[in-house]
Amino acid sequence: MTTALHERTAGPARAAGARRTGRRRRRGRPVALFLAPFLIPFAAFYLAPIGYTLYQSLFRMHRSGLGLTAPTQVFVGLANYATALGDADFRGSLLRVLLIGLVQVPLMLLFALGLALLLDAKSTLFKRVFRLAFFLPYALPGVVGAIMWSYLVAPGLSPITTAAHHLGLHLNLTSDAMLAPTIGNMLTWGWTGYNMLIIYSALQAIPAELSEAATMDGCSAWGIAWRIKVPLVRPALVLTTVFSIIGTAQLYNEPAILHNVAPNLSSTYTPIYAAYDAVNADNFNAAATESVILALLAFVLSFGFLKLVQRKGAAL
Amino acid sequence: MKARSHSLAAALAVLTAAAVVTGCSSGSSGTSDSAGASGGVVKLDFWGWAPGYDQSVALFNQTHPNIQVTFDKTASGGKGGYTKMLTAAKAGNAPCLAQVGYETLPSFAAAGALTDVTKYAGDAKSQFADWTWKQVTISGQTYGIPVDTAPMALMYRKDLFAKYGIDKPPVTWDEYAADAAKVHAADPTVYLGDFGNDSYNYAGLAWQAGAGWFGTSGDQWQVTLNSAANQKVAGYWQGLLDKKLLKTDPSYAPSLYADMGSGKVLSDVNAVWDAPIIASSVKDGAGQWAVAPMPVWDAANPAYGNDGGSATAVLKGCGHAKEATEFATWMSTNADSVSNLIKVTGIYPAATSGLGNPALAAPDTFYGGQTIFDVFKAETPHISTDWTWGPTMTQTATDVGDGLGQAGTGGTTVPNMLGAVQGKTVAAMKQQGLSVAGG
Repeated sequence: MTTALHERTAGPARAAGARRTGRRRRRGRPVALFLAPFLIPFAAFYLAPIGYTLYQSLFRMHRSGLGLTAPTQVFVGLANYATALGDADFRGSLLRVLLIGLVQVPLMLLFALGLALLLDAKSTLFKRVFRLAFFLPYALPGVVGAIMWSYLVAPGLSPITTAAHHLGLHLNLTSDAMLAPTIGNMLTWGWTGYNMLIIYSALQAIPAELSEAATMDGCSAWGIAWRIKVPLVRPALVLTTVFSIIGTAQLYNEPAILHNVAPNLSSTYTPIYAAYDAVNADNFNAAATESVILALLAFVLSFGFLKLVQRKGAAL
Repeated sequence: MKARSHSLAAALAVLTAAAVVTGCSSGSSGTSDSAGASGGVVKLDFWGWAPGYDQSVALFNQTHPNIQVTFDKTASGGKGGYTKMLTAAKAGNAPCLAQVGYETLPSFAAAGALTDVTKYAGDAKSQFADWTWKQVTISGQTYGIPVDTAPMALMYRKDLFAKYGIDKPPVTWDEYAADAAKVHAADPTVYLGDFGNDSYNYAGLAWQAGAGWFGTSGDQWQVTLNSAANQKVAGYWQGLLDKKLLKTDPSYAPSLYADMGSGKVLSDVNAVWDAPIIASSVKDGAGQWAVAPMPVWDAANPAYGNDGGSATAVLKGCGHAKEATEFATWMSTNADSVSNLIKVTGIYPAATSGLGNPALAAPDTFYGGQTIFDVFKAETPHISTDWTWGPTMTQTATDVGDGLGQAGTGGTTVPNMLGAVQGKTVAAMKQQGLSVAGG
């Protein structure tokens, strides 16, 4: 569909391009003027920091002897990358966000899709109230949500474990094994409503005739949801998946806040946490390297996922 | 061609404008050099987090019309304050003055973030305890003025100790372990103390046992985190953890103060500056608390620990190092300033004149009217003065803190943690090009 569109427009566009070159000189100034408000901040706040990060990742501060005077910066090529990837703690943090994402993202999106379908169903009452209620956690600043949850799970303060204790269950929501599920729960709580809203708006765009026609043909509500609505909101599902993958790779707020009540959560729990840890230790080069690796990972994962679903889409 | 050069000029103009704008904003919060000389008044910025510093600054400004200091409150050092200072020093707009702990000063020196004030500070040297002067002097260069030292003691609930049959606070660590078992046996939900995750508090326990973490020999570092002396301390605490005789709330966390308030945690071994923190954080039990000397390894030959102590350091790029040193010296030695710092900040002064300050003789109502500084004063001669901090303390402290937290939940043990951090620290130092002995 899209490729066909490109082919159709390619011809006239090329011809127009030839005509345009003649006018380019006269047009240059206004074009530059109109582009400047975008290009200058884009270069200053987007390209320059990325470039500087890449640059920093190729250097290392070098000291000698006791090293109690100002260090010198030396070029080390890709040695920082070898060090970061050779660091078991950092590799562990990458693996950890991958695992959390692998479990949490599908669960959350299934949940979001379910809620969106329920909201979209004809028979649902109080739609506005529910829509707002589900969306509310996202409206709360992420850190506030994380602080709230950290108190809800903190040993000694948690009403959840206290209640479970009365039922004879000995829960510890911040034990080593429970850290990842607890963080997954915080993420799901905070982001389901946001994803639900994206899917819900996609559902709203589906013409009512489709459902009507299906009902006439004897399709059940389940059937309509599964055979008509879900395939039609596929682009929204792809979008929310990509956002969620990137979001999980950048996990920081939740573990950083949880660390205050769970000292067993290490300060290299997630890649960004590890990079921040390196900044605190005045090792900006290591922080830059870890950031680049994380950005590459998020890039590969999200584009890999896009390619995967596009190929599948073409096969269907 | 002409058109292009015009648009280029326009773009440059915009970029310059942007640079000027950012330059201004960072200048106002940062360096004091530019505004300094105007009207003969030297303006200095001072970053720190301790409560009470602002009042000492106000006192100074009242009596020194030609030097005006502005105190900016930052997050505490370990919670981002040091990162902010180091980043500002790197960017060239650091304040002249900063509150920096002795433990972090070598890291600041290693980052090249300090100004050598040896020539201005020389006269002040005789006014301070020798070892505190050593803490601010690195490789022969003095980088700031000491403010305080931090002897450790046992802060405990007198009434609850009596309730669980502990007639007098434990004098030795053996007694401490026995009391911990006694309390826990009487009520399994109650603990004598808490095993937190504050690496510097743990360092104080090692300090007491003469178990140094770092040392230098010639031009080479020695890392001794995993020494036999350190393993002895680690083994003791691991023993208590194995028997589940200690609570494992995070240090300075709301859950710890909740447990202290409800009588689930009966005591804390902590530094002098923690006494006012406990007083303000624990709601119930005011007047029932007391301060006793820290338990020792050998009652016949007592030695105590130190957890903290900080300096007013002069940061890189300070254009008024002389005035900055003058202020820092005044803040640590002036009787009014020291009184204020003792009362509000809870410091134990590094200046020898400060030890006679009347504020140290004031009874504390939270601690049942006890003159708590007497305890710290008696300990001071028995605190080792040859502790050395390493050049990578931020990283080492984070790693030790992580390990303590994990030891609390059984993820590792304290002895194993020390071995791991030793290896990591040596590797990190070697990678930076430092010469290190032992591995």
